[in-house]
Amino acid sequence: MTDHVCVAAIAGAFGVRGEVRLKSFTAVPEDVASYGPLHTEDGSRTFTVTLDRPIKGGFAVRLNTIATKEEADALKGVRLYAPRSALPSLPDDEFYHADLIGLNVYDTGGVRLGRVKSVQNNGADDLLEIHGPGLKATVLLPFTRAAVPTVDLTAGRIVADPPLGIFPDDG
Amino acid sequence: MSRSVWKGPFVDAYVLKKAEAARESGRNEVIKIWSRRSTILPQFVGLTFGVYNGQKHVPVNVSEDMIGQKFGEYSPTRTYYGHAADKKAKRK
Repeated sequence: MTDHVCVAAIAGAFGVRGEVRLKSFTAVPEDVASYGPLHTEDGSRTFTVTLDRPIKGGFAVRLNTIATKEEADALKGVRLYAPRSALPSLPDDEFYHADLIGLNVYDTGGVRLGRVKSVQNNGADDLLEIHGPGLKATVLLPFTRAAVPTVDLTAGRIVADPPLGIFPDDG
Repeated sequence: MSRSVWKGPFVDAYVLKKAEAARESGRNEVIKIWSRRSTILPQFVGLTFGVYNGQKHVPVNVSEDMIGQKFGEYSPTRTYYGHAADKKAKRK
């Protein structure tokens, strides 16, 4: 589980009054301002984000310590992170992608199948994309109670009971 | 009666055969199919199909509200890796 999640990136200055163009990565783009002060990847700078208005490709945003266009220009390409603790807690059986990515996947017998590379959606269900040793390509596992009976975030492991045919060697 | 109603839904014959065999066997297995053009029929509900997207078989658990749509609609051919940020996944 990561301590910080990337929620936005600064695409450059917007206008000449120190506003920046912000690309939001959150599920609801406006939520980017609701996670409190955001910091840079190395944690050296922290910004309070105030959304001004939506613009093409993101939002025009005012950052508390940025007053001029030159300062805004210097931030182009900077990614902004929110602490993981700022994200609201979720009900049972709902997980943040950021928490699932990187977890080790084991089968019910304790054999390691691989690691979660990403979480995809096929239009109906969520799917865990698993990359593991001995696999030529990644494998998609349905994120259902039947196929994934246990998700242990504290231990960093998922126990999977994949249907036959999901993994290449089980037919 | 419109022509499309008169003709009925299209399903590749091998998909029907495989689905029937899987239902009879009662095993929890993915039915690998290549037919993205086949219509999802009521008898497919509860089965898991692996629908080919040109690269791999994407698992699709068929539910009632998918009936009448095509398998290909649930097997995207392109993969987008965005930022995880605050996106959520629900275990069904």
